[in-house]
Amino acid sequence: MNDSKKPKIIAIYGKGGIGKSSTASNVAAACADEGYKVMIIGCDPKSDSSITLLGGKRIPTILDLIRSGVDITEDDVVFEGYNGVKCVEVGGPEPGIGCAGRGIIVAIQKLKKISKVQEECDLVIYDVPGDIVCGGFVAPIRKGLVSEAYVLTSGEYMPLYAANNICRGLSKINTPLSGVICNARNVSREEEIVGKFAEEIGSELIAFIPKEQIVQDCERDGFSVLEKAPDSEIAQVYRNLARAIMSRNKSVMANALDDERLRELTR
Amino acid sequence: MEKEKKEISIIHPRPSSIVAALYTLRDLNVDVAILHGPPGCSFKHARLLEEDGIHVVTTSLDENGFVFGGHDELVALLEKVTEMFNPKLIGIVGTCVSMIIGEELHDAVLEANLDVPVIEVEVHAGYRNNTKGVLFALESALDSGIITEKEFDRQKVLLEEATMVEKRHGAASKEYLAPSRGDVKYKVAQHIIDLLKEGKRGITIMNAKKETGYMFADITVAVNEIAKQLGVESNIVNMANIDDTLGLPRVRHHAKCIMDDFNERGIRIHHIIGGMDEYPIAGDIAGKLIEEKYSDYDFVVITGVPHAIPMESISGMEIISVTNGPRQVLPMKEMGHDYVIVEIDLHPKTLGVNNIVESEFGATLREVAKEE
Ligand SMILES: Nc1ncnc2c1ncn2[C@@H]1O[C@H](COP(=O)(O)OP(=O)(O)OP(=O)(O)O)[C@@H](O)[C@H]1O
Ligand code: SF4
Ligand SMILES: [Mg+2]
Repeated sequence: MNDSKKPKIIAIYGKGGIGKSSTASNVAAACADEGYKVMIIGCDPKSDSSITLLGGKRIPTILDLIRSGVDITEDDVVFEGYNGVKCVEVGGPEPGIGCAGRGIIVAIQKLKKISKVQEECDLVIYDVPGDIVCGGFVAPIRKGLVSEAYVLTSGEYMPLYAANNICRGLSKINTPLSGVICNARNVSREEEIVGKFAEEIGSELIAFIPKEQIVQDCERDGFSVLEKAPDSEIAQVYRNLARAIMSRNKSVMANALDDERLRELTR
Repeated sequence: MEKEKKEISIIHPRPSSIVAALYTLRDLNVDVAILHGPPGCSFKHARLLEEDGIHVVTTSLDENGFVFGGHDELVALLEKVTEMFNPKLIGIVGTCVSMIIGEELHDAVLEANLDVPVIEVEVHAGYRNNTKGVLFALESALDSGIITEKEFDRQKVLLEEATMVEKRHGAASKEYLAPSRGDVKYKVAQHIIDLLKEGKRGITIMNAKKETGYMFADITVAVNEIAKQLGVESNIVNMANIDDTLGLPRVRHHAKCIMDDFNERGIRIHHIIGGMDEYPIAGDIAGKLIEEKYSDYDFVVITGVPHAIPMESISGMEIISVTNGPRQVLPMKEMGHDYVIVEIDLHPKTLGVNNIVESEFGATLREVAKEE
């Protein structure tokens, strides 16, 4: 399906550990269930974006292969996971060594050169690590690969602070924001706070994902919620989010809030 | 005292701190200098330094190295050069790449565990003043006991002065300085000969930066030769920064070699104005001497770093300057130097030599004098 249209290529940004990877993989699985061709590109040296789509298995990373000096073809780095989701991991150096940011740049350029899979997909998700700290972390956007950026946050102050910073960064590089996703941490008035934040920066809250133990239980076993617990309530939340993303065609240049306003919001 | 100019953004390219560190390692007499970075980094100077007898090699970090670091490559290269060149002293110089990705030079040195002392210089090319590279190299040499605290302090003062000299009237004095070939050597040579013939009294000041003195000294020699031919030898006073008791060993050696050559050619240096690394401060000493003894002289021929001679002491004379920096012409003209000559490509010809080498201007002077 969706042959004539250009693929939707998205990236989900947000504070480290806020749930970007688990959201990305669950959304990928949900979209695949709907019949879309989906690809996930993990841009984290931890290489943990696709693992729950591959039954807990790890795949060779682009940078590992580049490093070993072999000629790389598509088949060496693009693997099929749950329901046909194409999985790629960029990989990278161990913490504290080398430059992971440069690694992302090198790897996504390599991928573009050796594989056309992205163009054949309906949805491509770039799963980037933590906060934007150097140019490499926004390379998927800068290199013109990503067309839609989402921000994931909880209602806590620090994740919102990070989300706000990311919005500022995105605007600085002229990238519109397609929506805010709330991944709950069970703080009071969470949906209201994040909803207000989304509104004030000029965007919209497009999903509220509750905090559920089952997400972590599935993850521990190496699966997405969609695969392991398709009948759970949260599986339905991910399905709704997947539909929201697939049908979304609105984006705005975000207006980051000043610090004072941000504090007020979370009070 | 002139007020310090506020930092300007200079847009002409200039030698980097990495290169400055390399030259300093050379002066510290390392046998091998390792550039920890991309293969092409500082190529031109690395190549030149080989002419000076030191081996310059690179860890050749490529895209993989940028991403995964180059620790193993550096360890391997340390071992390799030790085997290949049997060095007594090794230097490692950082580059932008290795510093940005946070490489620890010291970890590699520890792992290689050589019997040879290693000077580690954590430097990149992003410093405004390239003297930073010299400073870092000296700091590291001090830490490894290769130079004394006293020498370090002395060098530090000189570096600060050198930076100031460049900011005041040198290559760092303007946002952009177009390179220039300066005045025509033939005409200036003719003019000096005319001055001598008229019985005018002149001063030669060689204020050269280290090994460049091998060529600038030739101009002192040429002026004196011609004065002798014309029978006005006594009208010339010579000054040079060739004190061979000052500076790093290699620098003292240059001073001694040049002094020996002067002696051999019968050139008397009336005043030694400092060591060969003292070009930023020797100018003041020359200036004082002139004010005290020679203020009524008619002309002065300054070679090396002419912009370090204070104008107050020489403004009454005709000033003829010889530099090896094409970007130095404009600022010196603005200072009020009447003639500025450029010895193009001087530096390469002064590496790996132990004797005065003929300069283009010296040769021109001799030719023109012959035609007389
Ligand atoms: N809605 C949720 N309910 C329960 N646990 C969740 C939920 N979302 C994420 N988690 C858990 O939070 C942890 C961190 O999530 P994840 O690794 O996806 O974060 P991340 O933003 O990708 O982190 P990083 O910035 O390090 O890449 C995981 O163990 C994940 O299972
Ligand atoms: S950018 Fe820095 S590391 Fe790269 S070649 Fe230039 S000086 Fe060397
Ligand atoms: Mg992640």
